[in-house]
Amino acid sequence: MNLDKKIDSYLEDVFKDVGPSQQLFDLKQELRVNMKERIRDYKETGMNDDDAFREAKVSIGDLTGLVEDMRKYGQQETKNQIYSSMTNRISSGFIVLGVMLVLFGAMMTLSMFFMAVEPVARSGVSIFIVAGGGILVYGILARETKTRYAMSKVRAGLYALATILILFAIFVGTISGLASKELFVAITSSMFFLIGGVGLLVALLLSRGQSLKK
Amino acid sequence: MAGISTDLIRGHTDTIILNILRHGDSYGYDIYKKIIELSGGEYELKEATLYTAFRRLLKDGEIESYWGDETQGGRRKYYRITDQGRQTYEQNKKDWETAKVILEQLIKGGITDESR
Repeated sequence: MNLDKKIDSYLEDVFKDVGPSQQLFDLKQELRVNMKERIRDYKETGMNDDDAFREAKVSIGDLTGLVEDMRKYGQQETKNQIYSSMTNRISSGFIVLGVMLVLFGAMMTLSMFFMAVEPVARSGVSIFIVAGGGILVYGILARETKTRYAMSKVRAGLYALATILILFAIFVGTISGLASKELFVAITSSMFFLIGGVGLLVALLLSRGQSLKK
Repeated sequence: MAGISTDLIRGHTDTIILNILRHGDSYGYDIYKKIIELSGGEYELKEATLYTAFRRLLKDGEIESYWGDETQGGRRKYYRITDQGRQTYEQNKKDWETAKVILEQLIKGGITDESR
């Protein structure tokens, strides 16, 4: 068993009788990170994995007070569902709005093809897809499900921004490509947004924490 | 370690934490290490006690918390002192100055004939 798993199962064991709550989830994350760092320090003094882990467990002290605290939150969780369902209602609103915008953009783009307008003007309405896509991503990520806790607003917002940047890159590329009839114009004009969007997305994926419920 | 009794220090845990956060934002294990360092290795505040204190201070609005953006090894939970926390610290420091003098008297002072 590697060290990360050991820490996880130790924390699971300490809080095994405690009902799940956002507070417990956060506390475990906090304890996990600090414990890891402490073990790293112990190992630097020459201790092996097992000794470092044992020492870290001992010096963390008596966690019963915190367990008791968390138990109260677990019991309150039923009451908190009002809050949860409120955030979920907001997220549902975002999802509906996002889907509607994407659909609207798609239908408008489609119908433009049957109109006698410039090709550039045809895809102009696709901007609704860009906005809708971003809102949709935010709505999905900010939602608490049975298996996953709601992502923080900031993080969900950043994911939405990444989506918007990537979609906007495609949009700009298409528009400028159609306007100039040159492929390189399309690529260069979308490059900035695409790089920004993908960069942000990769950064977000790499810094992903553990958000899966047990 | 443990050159000072837990009973003596218990009432001051919050002030000690506020004093450390006064010098900049910090996270659990770092605060733990700083307390050992400040005490010259004479006092170790258990991490479990720290987390309990954090929760109390957060609830009272003396400190705030936020998640760091570390990518390696998981995010840390940082704590920041609020304006209210700074005021509380200053007040606690004053109280301590007063208490220190009185305690000194109570513990060491002798009763002279005049005061009888």
